[in-house]
Amino acid sequence: MLEFYNVSASCGGVPILNDISVCFQKGEITAVIGPNGCGKTTLLQCLNGASKVTSGAIALEGADYLAMPHRERARRISFLPQVRTVIPALPVKTLVEHGRFPHLGFSRKKSEKDIAIVREAMQFAHVDAYAAQYADTLSGGIRQRAFFAMALAQDCDYIVLDEPTTYLDLKGQRELTEMILQLKNNGKTVILVLHDIGQALRISDTVVIMHDRKIAATATPEECLRQHIIETVFDVRLKEFSDGEGCYYFFY
Amino acid sequence: MRKKILSLVLLLILCFFAGILLGSVPLSPASVLRCLAGFDRDSTAYVLVHTVRLPRAAGACLAGMGLATAGVLLQYVMNNALASPNTIGVNSGAGFAVMLALLLGNGQASCIPAAAFLGALATSLAIFGLAYMADSSRTTIILAGITVSSFLNAGINTIKLLDTDISVNLTSFMIGSLSGITYEHLKIPGAAILAALLMTFVFARSVNVLGLGDDIARSLGLNVPVVRLSILVLSSMLAGCVVSYAGLLSFVGLVVPHICRRLFGNDARYLLPCSALLGASFVLICDILGRVLFAPFELPAGILMSFIGGPFFLYLLLKKKGGRRVNA
Repeated sequence: MLEFYNVSASCGGVPILNDISVCFQKGEITAVIGPNGCGKTTLLQCLNGASKVTSGAIALEGADYLAMPHRERARRISFLPQVRTVIPALPVKTLVEHGRFPHLGFSRKKSEKDIAIVREAMQFAHVDAYAAQYADTLSGGIRQRAFFAMALAQDCDYIVLDEPTTYLDLKGQRELTEMILQLKNNGKTVILVLHDIGQALRISDTVVIMHDRKIAATATPEECLRQHIIETVFDVRLKEFSDGEGCYYFFY
Repeated sequence: MRKKILSLVLLLILCFFAGILLGSVPLSPASVLRCLAGFDRDSTAYVLVHTVRLPRAAGACLAGMGLATAGVLLQYVMNNALASPNTIGVNSGAGFAVMLALLLGNGQASCIPAAAFLGALATSLAIFGLAYMADSSRTTIILAGITVSSFLNAGINTIKLLDTDISVNLTSFMIGSLSGITYEHLKIPGAAILAALLMTFVFARSVNVLGLGDDIARSLGLNVPVVRLSILVLSSMLAGCVVSYAGLLSFVGLVVPHICRRLFGNDARYLLPCSALLGASFVLICDILGRVLFAPFELPAGILMSFIGGPFFLYLLLKKKGGRRVNA
Protein backbone atom coordinates (compact mmCIF):
# COMPACT_ATOMS: atom_id res chain seq x y z
CA MET A 1 0.00 0.00 0.00
CA LEU A 2 1.22 3.46 -0.91
CA GLU A 3 -0.12 6.25 1.25
CA PHE A 4 0.19 10.02 1.01
CA TYR A 5 -0.39 11.79 4.32
CA ASN A 6 -1.16 15.53 4.23
CA VAL A 7 1.32 16.04 1.42
CA SER A 8 2.05 19.53 0.20
CA ALA A 9 4.22 19.73 -2.88
CA SER A 10 5.80 22.33 -5.09
CA CYS A 11 7.15 22.12 -8.60
CA GLY A 12 9.99 24.38 -9.70
CA GLY A 13 9.56 26.41 -6.49
CA VAL A 14 5.85 27.03 -7.12
CA PRO A 15 3.53 25.47 -4.50
CA ILE A 16 0.97 23.33 -6.32
CA LEU A 17 -0.55 20.84 -3.91
CA ASN A 18 -1.66 21.53 -0.38
CA ASP A 19 -2.50 18.93 2.25
CA ILE A 20 -3.30 15.97 0.03
CA SER A 21 -4.03 12.57 1.52
CA VAL A 22 -4.63 9.60 -0.70
CA CYS A 23 -4.06 5.87 -0.60
CA PHE A 24 -3.18 3.43 -3.39
CA GLN A 25 -4.04 -0.22 -2.71
CA LYS A 26 -1.52 -2.96 -3.34
CA GLY A 27 -2.16 -5.28 -6.27
CA GLU A 28 -4.69 -2.96 -7.86
CA ILE A 29 -4.76 -0.69 -10.85
CA THR A 30 -5.49 2.85 -9.70
CA ALA A 31 -6.22 5.50 -12.29
CA VAL A 32 -5.75 9.15 -11.43
CA ILE A 33 -7.99 11.33 -13.55
CA GLY A 34 -8.87 14.99 -13.58
CA PRO A 35 -8.93 18.04 -15.85
CA ASN A 36 -5.69 19.54 -17.14
CA GLY A 37 -3.71 21.43 -14.54
CA CYS A 38 -5.44 19.77 -11.58
CA GLY A 39 -2.15 18.53 -10.10
CA LYS A 40 -2.15 14.86 -11.17
CA THR A 41 1.39 14.92 -12.47
CA THR A 42 2.65 16.98 -9.51
CA LEU A 43 1.12 14.43 -7.15
CA LEU A 44 2.82 11.46 -8.79
CA GLN A 45 6.09 13.31 -9.30
CA CYS A 46 6.47 13.39 -5.52
CA LEU A 47 7.55 9.79 -6.04
CA ASN A 48 10.55 10.48 -8.28
CA GLY A 49 11.58 13.77 -6.75
CA ALA A 50 10.60 15.97 -9.69
CA SER A 51 8.10 17.64 -7.34
CA LYS A 52 9.36 18.67 -3.97
CA VAL A 53 7.36 17.51 -0.97
CA THR A 54 7.31 20.51 1.36
CA SER A 55 5.32 18.88 4.16
CA GLY A 56 3.57 15.64 4.94
CA ALA A 57 4.72 12.07 4.50
CA ILE A 58 4.58 9.23 2.02
CA ALA A 59 4.52 5.67 3.30
CA LEU A 60 5.30 2.67 1.13
CA GLU A 61 4.08 -0.48 2.86
CA GLY A 62 4.56 1.26 6.17
CA ALA A 63 8.10 2.50 5.47
CA ASP A 64 8.97 6.18 5.18
CA TYR A 65 9.40 6.51 1.42
CA LEU A 66 10.85 10.01 1.40
CA ALA A 67 13.61 8.97 3.81
CA MET A 68 14.88 6.33 1.38
CA PRO A 69 17.91 7.12 -0.78
CA HIS A 70 17.08 7.88 -4.42
CA ARG A 71 18.37 4.55 -5.61
CA GLU A 72 16.36 2.61 -3.05
CA ARG A 73 13.22 4.47 -4.13
CA ALA A 74 13.90 3.49 -7.72
CA ARG A 75 14.16 -0.14 -6.65
CA ARG A 76 10.71 0.03 -5.00
CA ILE A 77 8.71 2.19 -7.40
CA SER A 78 9.38 2.52 -11.09
CA PHE A 79 8.10 5.76 -12.53
CA LEU A 80 7.68 6.48 -16.21
CA PRO A 81 7.36 10.24 -16.67
CA GLN A 82 5.24 11.68 -19.42
CA VAL A 83 7.60 14.34 -20.65
CA ARG A 84 10.50 13.27 -22.79
CA THR A 85 12.98 16.10 -22.86
CA VAL A 86 15.39 13.89 -24.72
CA ILE A 87 14.76 11.18 -27.26
CA PRO A 88 17.86 9.10 -26.83
CA ALA A 89 19.76 7.97 -29.90
CA LEU A 90 20.40 4.59 -28.30
CA PRO A 91 19.54 1.05 -29.32
CA VAL A 92 16.34 -0.15 -27.65
CA LYS A 93 18.24 -2.84 -25.76
CA THR A 94 20.64 -0.29 -24.28
CA LEU A 95 17.71 1.90 -23.30
CA VAL A 96 15.94 -0.99 -21.56
CA GLU A 97 19.20 -1.94 -19.81
CA HIS A 98 19.22 1.50 -18.21
CA GLY A 99 16.23 0.26 -16.22
CA ARG A 100 18.68 -1.89 -14.24
CA PHE A 101 20.61 1.19 -13.13
CA PRO A 102 19.20 1.38 -9.58
CA HIS A 103 20.08 -2.28 -9.00
CA LEU A 104 23.69 -2.18 -10.16
CA GLY A 105 26.45 -2.12 -7.59
CA PHE A 106 29.44 0.16 -7.57
CA SER A 107 31.18 -1.77 -10.33
CA ARG A 108 28.03 -1.34 -12.45
CA LYS A 109 28.47 -4.83 -13.84
CA LYS A 110 25.45 -6.61 -15.27
CA SER A 111 24.74 -10.03 -13.79
CA GLU A 112 22.98 -12.98 -15.42
CA LYS A 113 19.87 -11.91 -13.54
CA ASP A 114 20.03 -8.38 -14.95
CA ILE A 115 20.35 -9.73 -18.46
CA ALA A 116 17.41 -12.10 -17.96
CA ILE A 117 15.20 -9.34 -16.55
CA VAL A 118 16.02 -7.03 -19.46
CA ARG A 119 15.13 -9.80 -21.91
CA GLU A 120 11.83 -10.53 -20.16
CA ALA A 121 10.93 -6.84 -20.03
CA MET A 122 11.56 -6.49 -23.76
CA GLN A 123 9.49 -9.58 -24.51
CA PHE A 124 6.67 -8.40 -22.27
CA ALA A 125 6.51 -5.02 -24.00
CA HIS A 126 6.91 -6.63 -27.44
CA VAL A 127 10.03 -4.69 -28.31
CA ASP A 128 12.46 -7.62 -28.48
CA ALA A 129 12.24 -7.47 -32.28
CA TYR A 130 13.56 -3.91 -32.17
CA ALA A 131 16.41 -4.58 -29.74
CA ALA A 132 19.12 -3.36 -32.10
CA GLN A 133 17.20 -0.43 -33.57
CA TYR A 134 17.78 3.12 -32.38
CA ALA A 135 14.98 4.55 -30.24
CA ASP A 136 14.95 7.86 -32.12
CA THR A 137 14.21 6.12 -35.40
CA LEU A 138 11.14 4.23 -34.14
CA SER A 139 7.47 5.22 -34.32
CA GLY A 140 5.93 6.86 -31.25
CA GLY A 141 4.07 3.70 -30.25
CA ILE A 142 7.08 1.41 -30.32
CA ARG A 143 9.24 4.01 -28.63
CA GLN A 144 6.71 4.35 -25.82
CA ARG A 145 6.77 0.56 -25.39
CA ALA A 146 10.58 0.70 -25.26
CA PHE A 147 10.40 3.22 -22.41
CA PHE A 148 7.72 1.05 -20.81
CA ALA A 149 10.10 -1.93 -21.03
CA MET A 150 12.78 0.19 -19.39
CA ALA A 151 10.43 0.95 -16.48
CA LEU A 152 9.60 -2.77 -16.23
CA ALA A 153 13.28 -3.67 -16.15
CA GLN A 154 13.46 -1.77 -12.87
CA ASP A 155 11.56 -4.81 -11.59
CA CYS A 156 9.54 -2.97 -8.95
CA ASP A 157 6.32 -4.09 -7.32
CA TYR A 158 4.89 -0.62 -7.88
CA ILE A 159 4.72 0.85 -11.36
CA VAL A 160 3.67 4.45 -11.89
CA LEU A 161 2.85 5.64 -15.40
CA ASP A 162 2.16 9.28 -16.20
CA GLU A 163 -0.20 9.42 -19.18
CA PRO A 164 1.26 6.35 -20.85
CA THR A 165 -1.33 6.32 -23.65
CA THR A 166 -1.65 10.00 -24.48
CA TYR A 167 0.32 10.13 -27.70
CA LEU A 168 -0.59 6.66 -28.90
CA ASP A 169 -3.01 5.72 -31.66
CA LEU A 170 -5.93 3.45 -30.82
CA LYS A 171 -4.06 0.23 -31.50
CA GLY A 172 -1.13 1.41 -29.42
CA GLN A 173 -3.49 2.34 -26.59
CA ARG A 174 -5.18 -1.05 -26.68
CA GLU A 175 -1.86 -2.90 -26.63
CA LEU A 176 -0.57 -0.89 -23.71
CA THR A 177 -3.83 -1.31 -21.79
CA GLU A 178 -3.62 -5.07 -22.23
CA MET A 179 -0.07 -5.03 -20.91
CA ILE A 180 -1.14 -3.04 -17.88
CA LEU A 181 -3.89 -5.55 -17.08
CA GLN A 182 -1.35 -8.33 -17.52
CA LEU A 183 0.95 -6.60 -15.01
CA LYS A 184 -1.83 -6.63 -12.45
CA ASN A 185 -2.32 -10.36 -13.07
CA ASN A 186 1.39 -10.78 -12.41
CA GLY A 187 0.84 -9.25 -8.96
CA LYS A 188 2.09 -5.74 -9.68
CA THR A 189 0.54 -2.55 -8.37
CA VAL A 190 -0.09 -0.04 -11.13
CA ILE A 191 -0.82 3.65 -10.64
CA LEU A 192 -1.44 5.65 -13.76
CA VAL A 193 -2.63 9.02 -14.95
CA LEU A 194 -5.14 8.71 -17.78
CA HIS A 195 -6.88 11.33 -19.84
CA ASP A 196 -9.43 9.01 -21.35
CA ILE A 197 -12.03 8.61 -18.59
CA GLY A 198 -13.72 5.71 -20.34
CA GLN A 199 -10.43 3.86 -20.44
CA ALA A 200 -9.81 4.64 -16.77
CA LEU A 201 -13.21 3.26 -15.75
CA ARG A 202 -12.72 0.14 -17.83
CA ILE A 203 -9.31 -0.96 -16.59
CA SER A 204 -8.93 0.34 -13.05
CA ASP A 205 -10.00 -1.07 -9.70
CA THR A 206 -10.00 2.34 -8.06
CA VAL A 207 -10.32 5.78 -9.58
CA VAL A 208 -8.79 8.82 -7.89
CA ILE A 209 -10.46 11.94 -9.19
CA MET A 210 -8.59 15.20 -8.80
CA HIS A 211 -10.13 18.59 -9.25
CA ASP A 212 -8.71 22.01 -8.59
CA ARG A 213 -5.55 20.58 -6.97
CA LYS A 214 -7.58 18.54 -4.48
CA ILE A 215 -8.69 14.94 -4.32
CA ALA A 216 -12.35 15.19 -5.27
CA ALA A 217 -13.11 11.51 -4.79
CA THR A 218 -11.59 8.07 -4.46
CA ALA A 219 -13.97 5.36 -5.55
CA THR A 220 -14.42 2.21 -7.56
CA PRO A 221 -15.55 2.74 -11.16
CA GLU A 222 -19.02 1.47 -10.21
CA GLU A 223 -19.40 3.99 -7.41
CA CYS A 224 -18.14 6.77 -9.67
CA LEU A 225 -20.91 5.98 -12.10
CA ARG A 226 -23.61 5.42 -9.53
CA GLN A 227 -22.91 8.65 -7.69
CA HIS A 228 -22.40 10.69 -10.87
CA ILE A 229 -19.07 11.93 -9.53
CA ILE A 230 -17.45 12.27 -12.92
CA GLU A 231 -20.36 14.17 -14.42
CA THR A 232 -20.15 16.67 -11.56
CA VAL A 233 -16.39 17.12 -11.47
CA PHE A 234 -15.76 17.29 -15.19
CA ASP A 235 -19.04 18.97 -16.03
CA VAL A 236 -19.84 16.40 -18.71
CA ARG A 237 -22.64 14.00 -19.52
CA LEU A 238 -22.34 10.26 -19.75
CA LYS A 239 -23.71 7.71 -22.16
CA GLU A 240 -23.27 4.10 -21.26
CA PHE A 241 -23.33 1.26 -23.74
CA SER A 242 -22.92 -2.41 -23.18
CA ASP A 243 -22.63 -5.59 -25.17
CA GLY A 244 -21.71 -9.16 -24.37
CA GLU A 245 -18.09 -8.24 -23.61
CA GLY A 246 -18.64 -5.42 -21.17
CA CYS A 247 -19.57 -1.78 -20.69
CA TYR A 248 -18.38 1.22 -22.66
CA TYR A 249 -18.62 4.79 -21.49
CA PHE A 250 -18.92 7.84 -23.63
CA PHE A 251 -18.56 11.29 -22.14
CA TYR A 252 -19.57 14.42 -23.98
CA MET B 1 34.19 -2.33 -30.06
CA ARG B 2 37.25 -3.83 -28.41
CA LYS B 3 39.08 -3.73 -31.75
CA LYS B 4 38.14 -0.10 -32.29
CA ILE B 5 39.43 0.89 -28.86
CA LEU B 6 42.61 -1.08 -29.44
CA SER B 7 43.22 0.69 -32.74
CA LEU B 8 42.71 4.04 -31.01
CA VAL B 9 45.29 3.06 -28.39
CA LEU B 10 47.73 2.05 -31.14
CA LEU B 11 47.08 5.32 -32.96
CA LEU B 12 47.84 7.25 -29.80
CA ILE B 13 51.08 5.34 -29.16
CA LEU B 14 52.12 5.98 -32.74
CA CYS B 15 51.30 9.70 -32.51
CA PHE B 16 53.08 9.98 -29.19
CA PHE B 17 56.21 8.40 -30.58
CA ALA B 18 56.00 10.59 -33.71
CA GLY B 19 55.65 13.60 -31.43
CA ILE B 20 59.01 12.77 -29.87
CA LEU B 21 60.65 11.74 -33.13
CA LEU B 22 59.66 14.61 -35.40
CA GLY B 23 60.65 18.24 -35.09
CA SER B 24 62.98 20.85 -36.43
CA VAL B 25 66.02 18.82 -35.32
CA PRO B 26 65.90 15.40 -36.96
CA LEU B 27 66.41 12.39 -34.70
CA SER B 28 66.53 8.75 -35.70
CA PRO B 29 63.93 6.35 -34.28
CA ALA B 30 66.75 4.23 -32.86
CA SER B 31 68.31 7.10 -30.93
CA VAL B 32 64.90 8.22 -29.64
CA LEU B 33 64.25 4.71 -28.35
CA ARG B 34 67.69 4.58 -26.72
CA CYS B 35 67.11 7.95 -25.05
CA LEU B 36 63.66 6.90 -23.83
CA ALA B 37 65.16 3.75 -22.39
CA GLY B 38 67.67 5.86 -20.48
CA PHE B 39 70.83 5.36 -22.54
CA ASP B 40 73.11 8.03 -24.06
CA ARG B 41 72.59 10.37 -21.15
CA ASP B 42 75.27 12.79 -22.35
CA SER B 43 74.03 13.22 -25.92
CA THR B 44 72.14 16.28 -27.19
CA ALA B 45 69.42 13.90 -28.33
CA TYR B 46 68.85 12.81 -24.73
CA VAL B 47 68.47 16.38 -23.53
CA LEU B 48 66.21 17.23 -26.45
CA VAL B 49 64.00 14.20 -25.91
CA HIS B 50 63.71 14.54 -22.15
CA THR B 51 63.47 18.28 -21.67
CA VAL B 52 61.66 19.38 -24.82
CA ARG B 53 59.88 16.73 -26.79
CA LEU B 54 58.67 14.34 -24.11
CA PRO B 55 57.05 17.03 -21.94
CA ARG B 56 55.55 18.59 -25.03
CA ALA B 57 54.10 15.29 -26.26
CA ALA B 58 52.78 14.56 -22.78
CA GLY B 59 51.27 18.04 -22.63
CA ALA B 60 49.58 17.56 -26.01
CA CYS B 61 48.32 14.16 -24.96
CA LEU B 62 46.83 15.46 -21.71
CA ALA B 63 45.36 18.51 -23.42
CA GLY B 64 43.56 16.38 -25.99
CA MET B 65 42.29 13.93 -23.40
CA GLY B 66 41.16 16.67 -21.06
CA LEU B 67 39.35 18.84 -23.58
CA ALA B 68 37.68 16.00 -25.47
CA THR B 69 36.47 14.43 -22.23
CA ALA B 70 35.29 17.79 -20.91
CA GLY B 71 33.38 18.23 -24.17
CA VAL B 72 31.60 14.88 -23.83
CA LEU B 73 30.74 15.61 -20.19
CA LEU B 74 29.36 19.07 -20.93
CA GLN B 75 27.27 17.73 -23.79
CA TYR B 76 25.64 15.21 -21.47
CA VAL B 77 25.27 17.50 -18.50
CA MET B 78 23.61 20.24 -20.53
CA ASN B 79 21.82 17.80 -22.82
CA ASN B 80 23.15 19.92 -25.61
CA ALA B 81 25.06 18.67 -28.62
CA LEU B 82 26.66 22.06 -29.16
CA ALA B 83 28.16 22.32 -25.70
CA SER B 84 31.94 22.20 -25.37
CA PRO B 85 34.50 23.94 -23.16
CA ASN B 86 34.92 26.44 -25.94
CA THR B 87 31.33 27.16 -26.97
CA ILE B 88 29.96 27.72 -23.49
CA GLY B 89 32.83 29.91 -22.38
CA VAL B 90 34.53 27.56 -19.91
CA ASN B 91 37.86 27.93 -21.67
CA SER B 92 37.61 31.70 -21.70
CA GLY B 93 36.70 31.70 -18.02
CA ALA B 94 39.82 29.69 -17.28
CA GLY B 95 41.91 31.93 -19.52
CA PHE B 96 40.63 35.06 -17.87
CA ALA B 97 41.38 33.63 -14.43
CA VAL B 98 44.91 32.72 -15.57
CA MET B 99 45.50 36.27 -16.77
CA LEU B 100 44.09 37.66 -13.55
CA ALA B 101 46.33 35.36 -11.53
CA LEU B 102 49.36 36.46 -13.54
CA LEU B 103 48.43 40.09 -13.04
CA LEU B 104 47.78 39.86 -9.31
CA GLY B 105 50.20 37.07 -8.40
CA ASN B 106 53.27 38.78 -9.86
CA GLY B 107 53.82 35.89 -12.23
CA GLN B 108 53.88 33.16 -9.60
CA ALA B 109 53.31 30.00 -11.58
CA SER B 110 52.06 27.79 -8.78
CA CYS B 111 48.61 29.31 -8.44
CA ILE B 112 47.82 29.28 -12.15
CA PRO B 113 46.19 25.83 -12.47
CA ALA B 114 44.05 26.50 -9.41
CA ALA B 115 42.99 29.86 -10.82
CA ALA B 116 42.20 28.25 -14.17
CA PHE B 117 40.07 25.59 -12.48
CA LEU B 118 38.16 28.18 -10.46
CA GLY B 119 37.63 30.35 -13.53
CA ALA B 120 36.34 27.39 -15.51
CA LEU B 121 34.07 26.24 -12.69
CA ALA B 122 32.67 29.71 -12.09
CA THR B 123 31.87 30.11 -15.78
CA SER B 124 30.26 26.71 -16.21
CA LEU B 125 28.17 27.17 -13.07
CA ALA B 126 27.12 30.61 -14.28
CA ILE B 127 26.11 29.33 -17.70
CA PHE B 128 24.32 26.35 -16.22
CA GLY B 129 22.59 28.49 -13.63
CA LEU B 130 21.45 30.82 -16.39
CA ALA B 131 20.11 27.90 -18.39
CA TYR B 132 18.39 26.42 -15.36
CA MET B 133 16.82 29.61 -14.03
CA ALA B 134 15.54 30.88 -17.33
CA ASP B 135 14.69 27.34 -18.46
CA SER B 136 16.40 28.50 -21.61
CA SER B 137 16.39 26.67 -24.88
CA ARG B 138 19.53 25.01 -26.14
CA THR B 139 20.23 27.85 -28.53
CA THR B 140 20.01 30.36 -25.69
CA ILE B 141 22.64 28.49 -23.70
CA ILE B 142 25.05 28.52 -26.63
CA LEU B 143 24.34 32.20 -27.34
CA ALA B 144 24.89 33.01 -23.68
CA GLY B 145 28.13 31.00 -23.80
CA ILE B 146 29.38 32.84 -26.85
CA THR B 147 28.53 36.18 -25.26
CA VAL B 148 30.23 35.30 -21.99
CA SER B 149 33.23 34.02 -23.97
CA SER B 150 33.70 37.19 -25.93
CA PHE B 151 33.24 39.24 -22.77
CA LEU B 152 35.95 37.25 -20.99
CA ASN B 153 38.22 37.30 -24.05
CA ALA B 154 37.94 41.07 -24.03
CA GLY B 155 39.01 40.91 -20.39
CA ILE B 156 42.01 38.74 -21.30
CA ASN B 157 43.07 41.17 -24.01
CA THR B 158 42.63 44.16 -21.73
CA ILE B 159 44.79 42.70 -18.98
CA LYS B 160 47.53 41.74 -21.41
CA LEU B 161 47.52 45.12 -23.13
CA LEU B 162 47.52 47.08 -19.89
CA ASP B 163 50.23 45.04 -18.23
CA THR B 164 52.86 44.26 -20.82
CA ASP B 165 55.07 42.55 -18.24
CA ILE B 166 52.92 39.45 -18.20
CA SER B 167 55.06 36.66 -19.53
CA VAL B 168 52.53 35.20 -21.90
CA ASN B 169 52.48 35.39 -25.64
CA LEU B 170 48.96 36.64 -26.21
CA THR B 171 48.52 35.22 -29.71
CA SER B 172 49.69 31.76 -28.71
CA PHE B 173 47.56 31.86 -25.59
CA MET B 174 44.38 32.82 -27.41
CA ILE B 175 44.90 30.25 -30.16
CA GLY B 176 46.32 27.55 -27.95
CA SER B 177 49.89 26.39 -28.27
CA LEU B 178 52.09 23.74 -26.75
CA SER B 179 55.49 25.20 -27.42
CA GLY B 180 57.92 25.55 -24.54
CA ILE B 181 56.10 23.19 -22.17
CA THR B 182 58.28 21.71 -19.44
CA TYR B 183 57.60 19.15 -16.74
CA GLU B 184 57.36 22.04 -14.33
CA HIS B 185 54.34 23.41 -16.21
CA LEU B 186 52.73 20.00 -16.33
CA LYS B 187 53.23 18.74 -12.80
CA ILE B 188 50.08 20.07 -11.11
CA PRO B 189 47.66 20.27 -14.07
CA GLY B 190 48.82 16.90 -15.38
CA ALA B 191 48.11 15.16 -12.10
CA ALA B 192 44.74 16.90 -11.83
CA ILE B 193 43.79 15.92 -15.39
CA LEU B 194 44.70 12.28 -14.81
CA ALA B 195 42.75 12.22 -11.57
CA ALA B 196 39.72 13.81 -13.22
CA LEU B 197 39.89 11.34 -16.13
CA LEU B 198 39.86 8.40 -13.75
CA MET B 199 36.90 9.87 -11.87
CA THR B 200 35.10 10.38 -15.16
CA PHE B 201 35.18 6.69 -15.99
CA VAL B 202 33.66 5.91 -12.60
CA PHE B 203 30.81 8.26 -13.51
CA ALA B 204 30.28 6.89 -17.03
CA ARG B 205 27.06 5.01 -16.31
CA SER B 206 25.59 7.90 -14.37
CA VAL B 207 26.51 10.15 -17.28
CA ASN B 208 24.55 7.82 -19.56
CA VAL B 209 21.51 7.95 -17.32
CA LEU B 210 21.73 11.73 -17.10
CA GLY B 211 21.73 11.73 -20.90
CA LEU B 212 18.20 10.28 -20.84
CA GLY B 213 16.88 13.59 -19.54
CA ASP B 214 16.32 14.78 -15.99
CA ASP B 215 12.90 13.19 -15.50
CA ILE B 216 13.93 9.69 -16.48
CA ALA B 217 17.27 10.00 -14.69
CA ARG B 218 15.41 10.88 -11.49
CA SER B 219 13.02 7.97 -11.91
CA LEU B 220 15.97 5.63 -12.27
CA GLY B 221 17.22 6.75 -8.89
CA LEU B 222 19.99 9.09 -9.99
CA ASN B 223 20.63 11.99 -7.64
CA VAL B 224 20.49 14.46 -10.51
CA PRO B 225 21.74 17.67 -8.84
CA VAL B 226 24.67 15.93 -7.15
CA VAL B 227 25.77 14.06 -10.26
CA ARG B 228 25.34 17.13 -12.43
CA LEU B 229 27.42 19.28 -10.09
CA SER B 230 30.13 16.60 -9.85
CA ILE B 231 30.34 16.38 -13.62
CA LEU B 232 30.51 20.16 -13.98
CA VAL B 233 33.36 20.19 -11.44
CA LEU B 234 35.18 17.41 -13.30
CA SER B 235 34.82 19.07 -16.69
CA SER B 236 35.98 22.38 -15.25
CA MET B 237 38.99 20.65 -13.76
CA LEU B 238 39.84 19.10 -17.12
CA ALA B 239 39.32 22.19 -19.25
CA GLY B 240 40.80 24.61 -16.70
CA CYS B 241 43.99 22.59 -16.25
CA VAL B 242 44.53 22.34 -19.99
CA VAL B 243 44.03 26.08 -20.43
CA SER B 244 46.53 26.76 -17.64
CA TYR B 245 49.42 25.47 -19.75
CA ALA B 246 48.15 25.27 -23.34
CA GLY B 247 45.94 28.33 -23.69
CA LEU B 248 42.53 28.44 -25.30
CA LEU B 249 42.69 25.39 -27.56
CA SER B 250 39.38 25.33 -29.34
CA PHE B 251 37.73 22.69 -31.43
CA VAL B 252 38.98 19.51 -29.71
CA GLY B 253 36.22 19.70 -27.14
CA LEU B 254 33.48 20.01 -29.74
CA VAL B 255 34.67 18.06 -32.73
CA VAL B 256 36.32 15.02 -31.19
CA PRO B 257 33.22 14.00 -29.18
CA HIS B 258 31.11 14.31 -32.31
CA ILE B 259 33.51 12.28 -34.42
CA CYS B 260 33.46 9.63 -31.70
CA ARG B 261 29.66 9.65 -31.46
CA ARG B 262 29.53 8.92 -35.15
CA LEU B 263 32.13 6.20 -34.93
CA PHE B 264 31.31 4.58 -31.59
CA GLY B 265 27.70 5.52 -30.73
CA ASN B 266 26.28 7.37 -27.76
CA ASP B 267 27.19 5.07 -24.87
CA ALA B 268 29.29 7.17 -22.49
CA ARG B 269 31.15 4.08 -21.28
CA TYR B 270 32.78 3.89 -24.71
CA LEU B 271 32.40 7.49 -25.77
CA LEU B 272 34.45 8.85 -22.86
CA PRO B 273 37.57 6.70 -23.29
CA CYS B 274 37.38 6.83 -27.09
CA SER B 275 37.10 10.62 -27.09
CA ALA B 276 40.02 10.88 -24.68
CA LEU B 277 42.18 8.65 -26.89
CA LEU B 278 41.21 10.32 -30.16
CA GLY B 279 41.47 13.80 -28.63
CA ALA B 280 45.03 13.08 -27.51
CA SER B 281 46.02 11.75 -30.94
CA PHE B 282 44.37 14.72 -32.64
CA VAL B 283 46.23 17.31 -30.59
CA LEU B 284 49.50 15.40 -31.04
CA ILE B 285 49.06 15.25 -34.82
CA CYS B 286 48.24 18.95 -35.02
CA ASP B 287 51.20 19.86 -32.86
CA ILE B 288 53.56 17.72 -34.95
CA LEU B 289 52.30 19.21 -38.21
CA GLY B 290 52.61 22.71 -36.76
CA ARG B 291 56.26 22.04 -36.00
CA VAL B 292 57.13 20.19 -39.20
CA LEU B 293 55.21 21.86 -42.02
CA PHE B 294 57.01 25.19 -42.05
CA ALA B 295 60.11 24.28 -40.02
CA PRO B 296 62.03 26.07 -38.61
CA PHE B 297 58.94 28.28 -38.19
CA GLU B 298 56.24 26.92 -35.95
CA LEU B 299 52.48 27.19 -36.19
CA PRO B 300 50.59 26.91 -32.89
CA ALA B 301 48.67 23.63 -32.58
CA GLY B 302 45.41 25.56 -32.32
CA ILE B 303 45.71 26.80 -35.91
CA LEU B 304 46.35 23.35 -37.32
CA MET B 305 43.42 22.03 -35.33
CA SER B 306 41.00 24.32 -37.08
CA PHE B 307 42.61 23.63 -40.45
CA ILE B 308 42.37 19.86 -40.12
CA GLY B 309 39.44 19.41 -37.78
CA GLY B 310 37.14 21.84 -39.57
CA PRO B 311 37.02 20.20 -42.99
CA PHE B 312 37.00 16.71 -41.47
CA PHE B 313 34.03 17.59 -39.30
CA LEU B 314 32.16 19.10 -42.23
CA TYR B 315 32.81 15.92 -44.18
CA LEU B 316 31.31 13.86 -41.34
CA LEU B 317 28.33 16.18 -41.09
CA LEU B 318 27.57 15.90 -44.79
CA LYS B 319 28.17 12.18 -45.01
CA LYS B 320 24.83 10.90 -43.79
CA LYS B 321 25.25 7.24 -44.58
CA GLY B 322 26.15 5.06 -41.65
CA GLY B 323 26.35 8.03 -39.32
CA ARG B 324 24.55 8.02 -36.01
CA ARG B 325 22.54 10.98 -34.99
CA VAL B 326 23.62 12.82 -31.91
CA ASN B 327 21.99 12.16 -28.60
CA ALA B 328 20.38 15.45 -27.51
